[in-house]
Amino acid sequence: MSVSTRTPRAGADKAPARGSGPKTAQRFRLGEPGTAWLFMTPALVLLAGMLLYPIFYTLWVSFSDFDLALFEPVGWVGWKNYEMVLRDPGFLESLKVTGIYLVIALPLQMILGFAIAFLLNVEWRGRGALRALFLIPMVVAPVVAGGVWRMLLDPLWGVVNYTFGLVGIGPVEWIGDPTLAMVSMILIDTWRWTPFVVLIAAAGIMALPGDVYEAAKSDGAGRWQTLWRITLPLLVPVMAAAFVVRWLGAVKMFDIALAATRGGPGNATNVVNLYIYEKGFRSLEFGSASSMATIVLIITIVLTYFLFSISRRLENRW
Amino acid sequence: MVSTAAPAFGSRKTGRARLGRIATITAAILVTLAFLYPVIFMISISFKLPKDIFTVPPKWISEITFDNYVSYFHQARILPRMINTIIVAMGAAIISMVAGSMAGYALSRMRMRGAGVMGGLILASRAVPPIALVVPMFLVARKLGLTDQYITVILAYVTFLVPYVVWLMRAFFKSLPKELEEAAMIDGCSRIGAFFRIIVPCSLTGMVSTLIFCIILAWEELLFALILTNDKAVTIPVAIAGIAADTEKGGLWGPLAAVGTLTVLPVVIFALAVQKYLIKGLADGATKG
Amino acid sequence: MRRSLRLTAAAAALGLTITACGSTAPEVSADGGGLGTAESPVSIRVIANDAFAKQWQDQLVPEFNKKYPNIKVSVDGVPYNDQLPKTMLELTGPTPTYDVVLGDDSWIPQLAKTGGLMDLKADVSKWTDAGYDWADFNPTPLAAGQWDGKQYTVPVRSNLLLMFYNKKLYKKAGVAEPTAETTWEQYFADAKKLVQDTDGDGKVDAWAIGTYFTKDPLTPTVWQTVLNSNGVALLDDDLKVAFNNEAGVKALQTHVDLLKYAPPGASTYQFNEPLEAFRQGRTATMLMWGSVYKGTAVDEASTTLKPEDVGLTTLPAGSAGPGAHRGVWSAGIAKKTQHPAAAWTWLQWITSKEGEQFTGNTLGTFPARNSTLDGTPAAEWAAPVYEALKAGYAAVEKNKMWRPRLPEADAVQQILALQTSRAMSGQATAEQAIDEAAKEITELLKSKGYPQ
Repeated sequence: MSVSTRTPRAGADKAPARGSGPKTAQRFRLGEPGTAWLFMTPALVLLAGMLLYPIFYTLWVSFSDFDLALFEPVGWVGWKNYEMVLRDPGFLESLKVTGIYLVIALPLQMILGFAIAFLLNVEWRGRGALRALFLIPMVVAPVVAGGVWRMLLDPLWGVVNYTFGLVGIGPVEWIGDPTLAMVSMILIDTWRWTPFVVLIAAAGIMALPGDVYEAAKSDGAGRWQTLWRITLPLLVPVMAAAFVVRWLGAVKMFDIALAATRGGPGNATNVVNLYIYEKGFRSLEFGSASSMATIVLIITIVLTYFLFSISRRLENRW
Repeated sequence: MVSTAAPAFGSRKTGRARLGRIATITAAILVTLAFLYPVIFMISISFKLPKDIFTVPPKWISEITFDNYVSYFHQARILPRMINTIIVAMGAAIISMVAGSMAGYALSRMRMRGAGVMGGLILASRAVPPIALVVPMFLVARKLGLTDQYITVILAYVTFLVPYVVWLMRAFFKSLPKELEEAAMIDGCSRIGAFFRIIVPCSLTGMVSTLIFCIILAWEELLFALILTNDKAVTIPVAIAGIAADTEKGGLWGPLAAVGTLTVLPVVIFALAVQKYLIKGLADGATKG
Repeated sequence: MRRSLRLTAAAAALGLTITACGSTAPEVSADGGGLGTAESPVSIRVIANDAFAKQWQDQLVPEFNKKYPNIKVSVDGVPYNDQLPKTMLELTGPTPTYDVVLGDDSWIPQLAKTGGLMDLKADVSKWTDAGYDWADFNPTPLAAGQWDGKQYTVPVRSNLLLMFYNKKLYKKAGVAEPTAETTWEQYFADAKKLVQDTDGDGKVDAWAIGTYFTKDPLTPTVWQTVLNSNGVALLDDDLKVAFNNEAGVKALQTHVDLLKYAPPGASTYQFNEPLEAFRQGRTATMLMWGSVYKGTAVDEASTTLKPEDVGLTTLPAGSAGPGAHRGVWSAGIAKKTQHPAAAWTWLQWITSKEGEQFTGNTLGTFPARNSTLDGTPAAEWAAPVYEALKAGYAAVEKNKMWRPRLPEADAVQQILALQTSRAMSGQATAEQAIDEAAKEITELLKSKGYPQ
């Protein structure tokens, strides 16, 4: 495509590969950087205004002793908190647990979400209602969702084990067994957040220009071909955005783990944000909690940047 | 599963396609029901007496009671807290949508030095663990005398909604045909005019979906609401957490399910009300018209 | 960009001023803010557990206002799980939002250490009513409000970990009901028989025990009680770990062994699950907080049991006596309050003989005063409960059955919770778990400056 010469940011030009209108935009670009900053200002002011002090405070606490009497950091202790945190087996274990959870849950939710979005996309009267109903798992408060799932999965009175029992399986310790607890946590998280992927994917599919399909059809392309060669490439920006948003949400997940498994048994489902939360809010160890938060922040930024480059590369490839 | 969805885009009315269509619709309904099962279960226990909830084997039908709804409606101050939740969630979602979609538009369509870095920074701001934000935010709010006020909670929520909006809307704007705003600008619109008059209406599906997502996230947020409010601005999730962690009586699953059900209702009603935007992409209409 | 730079500067400046502000609160007037008049009433705010905040507001406050109409009390509830950090944040402000704060048993040293609480026997003594009888308090609940030799809080909702038992299931199994003398050995022998098939269909449908088994700071209290009832403390008088020995391993192993006689899935039991299993008649005994008695034996909507089916006694005895574990809610006054007189008047009233009888009879709250415990409760079912409470208080007093009286108490319980959970799920043996817990607690205490 010749368009890539127009701006250095090829990503910005990845408009859907439709037709080829006259490229008259050139002259309107004059003075654009200024306008662009104008567009960015509200978001930047809000974020900077709200976040700079908290981040500065967290960094400060992570290098200090924390005085609970003032709820303020006092005295500079250098890397002491960090050294303690890096020697803390629970913290390292929680990073590992988070990694396992992310590696399994995210792809699962993305695939399931896009597949269901296609399924829900069939035109019929109930389509809108199904899509609206599909949002519900996200809306149920985590505490309630965790509790309901605990009830469903309970070996004694739970419906799931009751059903398994009818065919002679079980009772299965869904939450009591370390491995199955992870499975259960991923299951609940997937139940809860796949609807988000569906919501965004459906909107992305909706926004696809219809004439592309007509063109494809007149070219005699089959369904799979249309899907692979036209639909999916056009959906890449939306897929990438949904993935990044889900990734950032999943990294911070702790409410479901807290409500469903309490991070247990042992540390089997103790995701890192739950670990930090409990260090801070249960053990009142704000110094270590802040150091952990800083470490997690840095790891997340690095990984986010990595994902971000991949997604930009993907966007540009098609 | 995926292949059968393709007829949605065309409209070949052959017998096989129709069969496929019916199969797809059935599958769609079944998948939705599977996802809704825990919710149906929640609703069912909200009508049960506490002693009928934990039975072996599970009781499908038991004595129906409305007590769970009635007793905790007053006890947990559901109505005022629901109103608070609506104000906070709508306020935060709308502010985030305006600020976030403008930034998303700039990132998707405008030439800007450092756009990548800026975009990355905006995303990174979402990577801060919540526990690290909530304590300093409380300290600042207290300093300014702003604890227990809507604006404080709204602004706190805006910080975690904006990055999401920026990223989602950036993607949706990218999938819009570029000719749209070019045409508008030839008509004499400024960038800003083109954005509000052309771009926004054309990406309504994406916007409504993102808005719903924002409302949901703000709707169920617990940690910030709990720390930043005391009485006047307390939201529903705090009430729910209170019932869930009842250390005195225990076994409040009936009331919890009832309040959980009540919480879900407004969002579902809202989603049903705006469902036509969830379905009908307006982009096509605009370009063709 | 410049704007955001300026914001950064402003935010940083703000941060500095926040730390600089230690005590900007105005001086409290000599009358402690007074008790209010009809024209200008005094308002005080109370931060309490959500579980009973509304109940207090609706029932306790009006009763209080009959006597003190000019003190307006508003009670805010906070969900239990985040009540401690929330209270800490509120308490440490220069002008506190709350005049009265409530704390669970293990929080009092942490709250007191912030310097945010008044010493009730010194700071507010000039407003103490002549008839307020400190000596009438049972020493066990009263001790929940003491730290470092001072009385920071007074008990407002007393509670103990006790053993509930289902008399019908005991009878069905042909086992004698437990008493204060029942030992753990005897209990385990009975437990085998209490796992039974009650309806004769060949499948086990009732089990011996339900209690905390999951990863929760309250779970270790069960084996801490076993440890204490064998005369061993968690930490010795020098605040050094004292459970890293045979007694500790045995205590934890006892708790783990209970799992064998518990219903399937019991390893995830927290507070609600054992309660429901017991209320459904699925378990013969339950080690649980006494405050659930009414919902377990009396309220027909929540339980299948009746008062005559449910017995309440101390936990099985170890070598040093029967077991129980203290879990008393107590209330104190914020040091920086502008209305210490009104706040203390309110607290005195709830914890007076009169107030305590009102809360006991109306709300079913457990008393802390000997006069109430020895009196006749309004509800018939409460009489045996008070007897069990008295026995429990005595057991707690004798063998110091409470969580460590340290500002780090919750951090210690967190460590114990994790290691207990590892032992429960088979990720570690009792020896390994005890050893690991001892190591981590020693490390924690060392980092806080306690000589180890």
